[in-house]
Amino acid sequence: MTRKELITSLQKIVKPYVQNQEAFKNLTEETDFINDLKINSANLVDVILDVEDEFGIEIDNESMEKMLSVKSAMDIIETKLADS
Amino acid sequence: MIGNDIIDLSLAKIESNWQRKGFLEKQFTANEQQLILAAPNSFELVWRFWSMKEAAYKVYAQQNTIRFFAPKKFDCLLMSETKGLVFFKDQIFYTSSNMNQNYIFTLAGLEKQTKAYSKFVMPQVIDMMIKIKLEDKTGFSTIEIEQKKSKNGAPLYYYEDILLTRSCSISHHGNYGVFSLLYA
Repeated sequence: MTRKELITSLQKIVKPYVQNQEAFKNLTEETDFINDLKINSANLVDVILDVEDEFGIEIDNESMEKMLSVKSAMDIIETKLADS
Repeated sequence: MIGNDIIDLSLAKIESNWQRKGFLEKQFTANEQQLILAAPNSFELVWRFWSMKEAAYKVYAQQNTIRFFAPKKFDCLLMSETKGLVFFKDQIFYTSSNMNQNYIFTLAGLEKQTKAYSKFVMPQVIDMMIKIKLEDKTGFSTIEIEQKKSKNGAPLYYYEDILLTRSCSISHHGNYGVFSLLYA
């Protein structure tokens, strides 16, 4: 999976939880889930569970701690996919 | 240091499904999960624990510049209908939660008895209401009081270079907004 494909599928996953549509339209790897997209912190776990379902991977607690931005999520997904 | 969190329960019902597979396991300790599942109102306890974790995290985040998402590591203990403790690393956070059918509000602090001032306000006007409160308290005019974010994103209020709040925490969700202050 290319970086572009990955960011596209991640975009689909976070869409229902986004509260700042302007930031969503301009989403880049640097976008922060909470500070930029204004995703409710209680919905971060939904993003993580959706990522697990979509990619068939398991996000362990240590990885989950870092999943605050598009880039960190992409890095974690890539690592987990490479390990599986 | 103080941290707060408010949850609009009718919105939480729509936004999150606590019965979703993995939801409890990822965020709550084994002990918390047992208590939630055994509780007469599981939904309410999910959000009480969540608000305790979030409020405690907001205290921790003001002391440390690192951001992270590790709700399971904030270990909650219920002491009474309202009081609770949250353990994280080597720290203890004292929490006080107010609950009714509409919302859960939790204030967390490092001391047993916090002197923090908390006020419920409309979510859209929190910043202005804080400035008005600080004007009352300090005599500086609201238009001269300025919010500056600390390195870790916590709000602090200043008049020029004078810090007016030792700690400030803001939370809003759905129809509810609240701020909590410790004066400098």
